[in-house]
Amino acid sequence: MGKYFTFVGLGLVLALALLLAVVAGDYGPWYFAWMVGTVMIVLIAGCGAVLFDAQHEKGEGEI
Amino acid sequence: MPLIDPSVVDLSRLQFALTALYHFIFVPLTLGMTFLLAAMETVYVITGKQIYKDMTQFWGKLFGINFAIGVATGLTMEFEFGTNWSMYSHFVGDVFGTPLAIEGLMAFFMESTFIGLMFFGWDRLSKPGHLAVTYLTALGSNLSALWILIANGFMQNPRGASFNPDTMRMEFNSFLKLVFSEDAQAKFVHTSIAGFVTGALFVMGISAFYILRRQHREFAARSFRMAALFGVISSLAVVTLGDALGRLDYLVQPTKIAAIEGLWQDSDAGGSAAAAPWLLFALPDQAAQTNLVEFGIPYVLDPLVAHSFSTNIPGLISLEKQAGPRIKKGIAALNALQAYGKDHGAAALATFKANESDMGYGFLAQRYAPNQDLSKITPANQDAVVAQAEKDTIPNVFVTFWSFRIMMILGFYFVGLFAFAAFFSLKNRLERNPLLLKLCVWSIPLPVLACEFGWITAEAGRQPWSVYRWLPTFQAASSHSVGYMVFSLIGFALLYSVFIAAELYLMFKFARLGPQPHQAAAPEAAPAPMFAAPAE
Ligand code: HEM
Repeated sequence: MGKYFTFVGLGLVLALALLLAVVAGDYGPWYFAWMVGTVMIVLIAGCGAVLFDAQHEKGEGEI
Repeated sequence: MPLIDPSVVDLSRLQFALTALYHFIFVPLTLGMTFLLAAMETVYVITGKQIYKDMTQFWGKLFGINFAIGVATGLTMEFEFGTNWSMYSHFVGDVFGTPLAIEGLMAFFMESTFIGLMFFGWDRLSKPGHLAVTYLTALGSNLSALWILIANGFMQNPRGASFNPDTMRMEFNSFLKLVFSEDAQAKFVHTSIAGFVTGALFVMGISAFYILRRQHREFAARSFRMAALFGVISSLAVVTLGDALGRLDYLVQPTKIAAIEGLWQDSDAGGSAAAAPWLLFALPDQAAQTNLVEFGIPYVLDPLVAHSFSTNIPGLISLEKQAGPRIKKGIAALNALQAYGKDHGAAALATFKANESDMGYGFLAQRYAPNQDLSKITPANQDAVVAQAEKDTIPNVFVTFWSFRIMMILGFYFVGLFAFAAFFSLKNRLERNPLLLKLCVWSIPLPVLACEFGWITAEAGRQPWSVYRWLPTFQAASSHSVGYMVFSLIGFALLYSVFIAAELYLMFKFARLGPQPHQAAAPEAAPAPMFAAPAE
């Protein structure tokens, strides 16, 4: 039952995100670009850190 | 209506410029650091590694100092609109007050509430709960900026309001037009991302300082990596949005773009618009309406500004001449408005409506009218009045040209710096490049400088208007005495000097101290799953 609610909840979030994307894309293209771009910047910075950990787990001591 | 003492107008402008520029020393760091903190905490929540929590907490502390001392100074500016710019507030308060109120009631409170939770909620909230709070703080601070920039977008390109001759003020008629104005959008994204660049260089510069001193290596290298990647994309985005803003200026504020480019003659004056040079260096002389010296690259101006190879970009001299007929229509509009105020007659209203779009230009003529009374302008003296008022339609070219150049050059410098920094960080070769690291340390204040010059470009370039083509700045001020203005200006200067000294002292102190020993030395905890079941 819990999984079902999570599924429905995530489905609603997805529908809302798509609606927002369509509306923002039409009326506020730069706002939309900011939303997508900011998420991307945050994720890429995060990936950089994870990559750092992976590189150093292999034993590269230099930074 | 008598004109306000020009010294009072100048002092009001100086006071606003100083408080705004001071406020904006702190704002960009808040806009960028919050998302960088969110990125660090995201890695902490996903990997469970303690070092990312330490990073979030340490950089969060520096962010907190900045927020506590600097950001609240924005509130004084909101009051300044009422105290020093009461004519402005009367004229556009209906429109301008709305985004400002939303900013205060929604975004600022959201930001402040979540900041409290962010600092004091580490032990009280679950990991994902705290992460959500950090994201909401970041969103709140950027939403604050959004509403302010929507308000500023209205001043640059008034949308969503119309003038009501019965109430003598601009009245709001479309919230959507105001919020989705292209100017507001591009301004918000440019400014927010400029904040990202500032936050990234701040973290990268201080991390470089630790790496150079071989202190907190693990901590600094990770912070450097994240900030460099955050910065490289942000700096590219800030340049892209800068181009979008420049094109918007070309479309809606031709005098500003001509001043930005130091363009006195039309771009096709030399025979071909496409061949017109983009000036790298110029010494504009406002009085002689020319550049004393200039040096540019041919074939760059047209594609850069108009995104075309065949469009003529009007120069300042022809823009000044084009203002003449608008000033005449503006005089007719204001005289009709005065008549309408007396008798509410249909004829006066019809004349006003026919000339309404140039009403603001009429205000510009008031200074030069006999006894500063527009109704005393006659066919005999009109041309002389208009010729004088035309000159006022051009902003200060030297200031606009150079403030834009400094911002732009810094923009490209940041792209290069972040690109090298990201490259050497990804290759784990930072310690072999002390010069790059030193450059990162010394570049910490530069994004703030770029932001300040950005605002000078935007605001000096908009002159002589406070609301573009509707209300000149000299008509917007309050009728204070010079003594009052000098007194409050000195008060602000003293108070803010104390604030900035305290900020710099605390920032240097805590940055030099680095992460707390227990944090830096803490053994890295084993990765924990993101949504671990609570301990029994
Ligand atoms: C090639 C690079 C850049 C270009 C072409 C550019 C372009 C512009 C333009 C045209 C404006 C005036 C907007 C108006 O008319 O209202 C502006 C304003 C501004 N710029 Fe830039 N810019 C660049 C880089 C930067 C950088 C690197 C920063 C800071 C890190 C920055 C921060 C600002 C700020 C804070 C403003 C005032 C707010 C606004 O109007 O958005 N800019 N920029």
